[in-house]
Amino acid sequence: MSSTATTHSASHWGRAGRRLRRDPVAAVACAYLIIVVVMAVFAPLIAQHDPNFQYLSERLSGPSGTHWLGTDDLGRDTFARLLFGARVSLQTSVLVALLAVAIAVPIGLVAGYRSGLVDLAVMRVTDALLSVPPLVIALAVAGILGPGTRNAVIALTVVVVPGLVRLVRAQALAIREEGYVEASKAIGTRSNVILARRIFPHVLSSLLVQVSVVLGTILVVEASLSFLGLGQQLPHASWGAMLKSGFALIATDARLILVPAIAITLTTLAFNALGDGLRDALVSGGRELHRRVGDVLGTTSVVPGAQRDRQGSVPGERVQGVDDAVLSIRNLRVGFDSGSDVVEVLDGVNLEVHRGEILGLVGESGCGKTVTSQSILRLLPSPPARILAGEICFEGRDLLTLSPKGMRSVRGSEIAMIFQDPMASLNPAFTIGDQLIEAQRVHRKVSRSAARERAIELLDRVGISDPERRLEEYPHTLSGGMRQRALIAMALANDPKLLIADEPTTALDVTVQAQILELIRDLSRERGMSVVFVTHDLGVVQELCDRVAVMYAGQIVEQSTVEQLFDGPLHPYTRALLRSRPRLGARLDRLPSISGVVPSPDAMPEGCRFFARCDHREDACAAASIPTSEVAVGRIVRCVRHSVPVSTAAELNGTSNRAAPVAEAMGQS
Amino acid sequence: MLPLIGRRLVLLVPTILLVTLGIFSLLELVPGDPATTLAGGASATPERIAEVREELGLSRPFLARYGTWLGDVVRLDFGESLLTGTSVTEEVRHRLPVTLSLVLGSMVVGIALGVPVGVIAGARQHGLVDRVLLAITSVWLSVPNFVLAILLVNYLSIGLGWFDAVGFTRLTSPEGLQVGDWLKSLTLPSVALGIGTAARLARQVRAGVVDTLHEPYVRTAWAKGCRPLTVVGKHVLKNAAIPAVTVAGLLLGGMLGGTVIVETVFAVPGMGDYLVKAVTSKDMPVIQGVAVMFVVAFAVINLAVDLIYGWLNPKVSVS
Repeated sequence: MSSTATTHSASHWGRAGRRLRRDPVAAVACAYLIIVVVMAVFAPLIAQHDPNFQYLSERLSGPSGTHWLGTDDLGRDTFARLLFGARVSLQTSVLVALLAVAIAVPIGLVAGYRSGLVDLAVMRVTDALLSVPPLVIALAVAGILGPGTRNAVIALTVVVVPGLVRLVRAQALAIREEGYVEASKAIGTRSNVILARRIFPHVLSSLLVQVSVVLGTILVVEASLSFLGLGQQLPHASWGAMLKSGFALIATDARLILVPAIAITLTTLAFNALGDGLRDALVSGGRELHRRVGDVLGTTSVVPGAQRDRQGSVPGERVQGVDDAVLSIRNLRVGFDSGSDVVEVLDGVNLEVHRGEILGLVGESGCGKTVTSQSILRLLPSPPARILAGEICFEGRDLLTLSPKGMRSVRGSEIAMIFQDPMASLNPAFTIGDQLIEAQRVHRKVSRSAARERAIELLDRVGISDPERRLEEYPHTLSGGMRQRALIAMALANDPKLLIADEPTTALDVTVQAQILELIRDLSRERGMSVVFVTHDLGVVQELCDRVAVMYAGQIVEQSTVEQLFDGPLHPYTRALLRSRPRLGARLDRLPSISGVVPSPDAMPEGCRFFARCDHREDACAAASIPTSEVAVGRIVRCVRHSVPVSTAAELNGTSNRAAPVAEAMGQS
Repeated sequence: MLPLIGRRLVLLVPTILLVTLGIFSLLELVPGDPATTLAGGASATPERIAEVREELGLSRPFLARYGTWLGDVVRLDFGESLLTGTSVTEEVRHRLPVTLSLVLGSMVVGIALGVPVGVIAGARQHGLVDRVLLAITSVWLSVPNFVLAILLVNYLSIGLGWFDAVGFTRLTSPEGLQVGDWLKSLTLPSVALGIGTAARLARQVRAGVVDTLHEPYVRTAWAKGCRPLTVVGKHVLKNAAIPAVTVAGLLLGGMLGGTVIVETVFAVPGMGDYLVKAVTSKDMPVIQGVAVMFVVAFAVINLAVDLIYGWLNPKVSVS
């Protein structure tokens, strides 16, 4: 819930009203309630019979032209009784709701605003009342006071007030500390004015929702009391009483039960539906993502035809490029649903990972490196994520064309992944052993005991001491570093060809970080396993990786070997990144940083995305999107200062036009 | 663990004091002489009024009377029914197991219906299945339990003859256990009482599943190549169950209240039935005794929920 003073202005209510009108369920509920209210108010005009007149010759007659819903055991017209019963139910509900709000709001506001003793007393009393089942309170009160409408109203009010007090108190408490309330206090506004003008409007939204639900509750409890003979007294009609007399004749005529039963249920349903609608419109903000056809739990959806939406290559064609590529991402575009439109977060990412190499993927947070890494195994949930275009070729197969089942057979077996947050990436409810054994048995038919043996080996390999005992332990007993080791062991379980590591050391302290990096490098070397290592830390890249790709604002801006990149970065962003690394022993007045911010994905500039922050910007940069150029073999950069005249197709193939190395920039860094 | 139980019990004391004081003072609020009111109003004979006054000690001051009653309650003596003269404590001892078995049965219905519905809806969040299930739970939530009880009696007992319309078979009898009949007589009341619980539980479980699906460890499970059934049924459900247990505990309290009216419909001789009869005849000692028992039962249930919570969640028991 937003907490600025302006949220409760007219526009807030206007917006909520529009949302509510667009909610078909709430609209139907509202229409139904209006009809019921109108029929109750005009009951004497609509009903053709006196609800209490006994047509003795027509007792228990079925529906007919004169008696639309038939008559009861005393020959009274059921339709007339239904209408007059609605009066009782609605009158009681509205009266109780008003009384309860009148009592609960001041108490709740004062308790929440004042705190201290008042609050304590209020809380104790509401606690006590809430610890007795509501119907028991209502019964005790109505029973001792005696039957009758007035006493039923008192009993119902006692039932409803504590919950409302709690709600109002909680809301008042929550915004007491807000800036605009503090400001009012500071300028000396009196407490009751603050409560009425500042706090109450804020509480109103939740209160309205609650009142709608409470109206339904009162209706039911009132009907219960009447059914037990403690509410409205005979001979007046009420829905509960109708149910009571119908129940006595249950074996004779089910109609007499059905009529009030349906009326009570539908009206309660309408109150609840209206409450849900109000909550969506007023409180939760009403934004909802819709599942689309083809969305499957656990696998990112690929927009139909996305694989074909790339220039220059044909579906199914063996990927060109360096022959030993394990993974080759081409023109990958990923978007996130946002309301009615899609925000593109990846714009044509091209990336190759060679056999046995460690590729670093670097960039500031929000640049798209995590999205890229999770797109490979299609782990981004849909909604909101969708793969809009491109191709992710792994060992010659396009992963984007695989079914969810096909995708599952790749995950954890040929491509494994470890994540940023080792503390949260192991399931807290299962032992380490369970999770390691599962990792194997998902893909291979092995006995539990064989899987257990291998789990011990794996834990041992990743440097976890006393692996046998660790198997029986729950994740929360392990340190962060140990957990990441366990996760790496899990990733190795099926000897993957590619390991994707998404900032696996970010959450760990420096010494542990170094150990984990060493472990990953050793594992890669000994198994010939390729690694995509996502990080924002250039130091890690320098130490660990063979090649590196730099991302900025959803694009790859530079790709080269690690030596090339550190010796002579080409893209201004890469240079800025390198400059902003704190160096050991260097005396600094302030920590170097890149000024400005990454543009937001829904407001990407037309031309170069780094334009606003670039030291070398010129008019040409802002004009149109900047293509990538391969300035040397495997050396790619996206900057006008290094552009070589290339055709789009050549750019995408990434293999030709490597003739124009631009050395000019290298000298400057 | 023990301090937790102790704290709960200590918190229970002011609650019971407040509730009983409330019920006691209600009688004072009724215009006219309490003895006359309890004896049946203006039509009561002077002898009867005197008798009631004598039995409840109504000539003594309010607080003294309350003190005496409270002292008896501490010794588990709730006095005698004004109507039948039988010991309330005895009656409660006989009826409490009936009500508890009904609450238990309703919980079983609530879990058996609510958990699967919640899991499926959560896994299909915002999909068609989710919306249909949400609509179904809305209906479950809106059918008052006594209305459903009446409909069940009408269609399943009278219409189809599958169950006895009314009455209750105890689990134990002089001839031994009668599990089949006990379960059969428990089925319809449990469904009537459990359906609302099922709906609330379904919504809680759904929300839990939706939240848990975003957890990093669930992503790990997907990355392993687990099937959706394994991810949701194993990795998600065990974690989503933890908040659901808390909600289930709160719902037990609501069901305890619901027994009042459902027992009346099915003529189940439990605490609720006892309370309703006492209320209609203004049998003060019974009303007070039953109210106290409901409060205690509610508190005991909440305590049990806390204990289950600790057992389910390995982290809580360690810290």
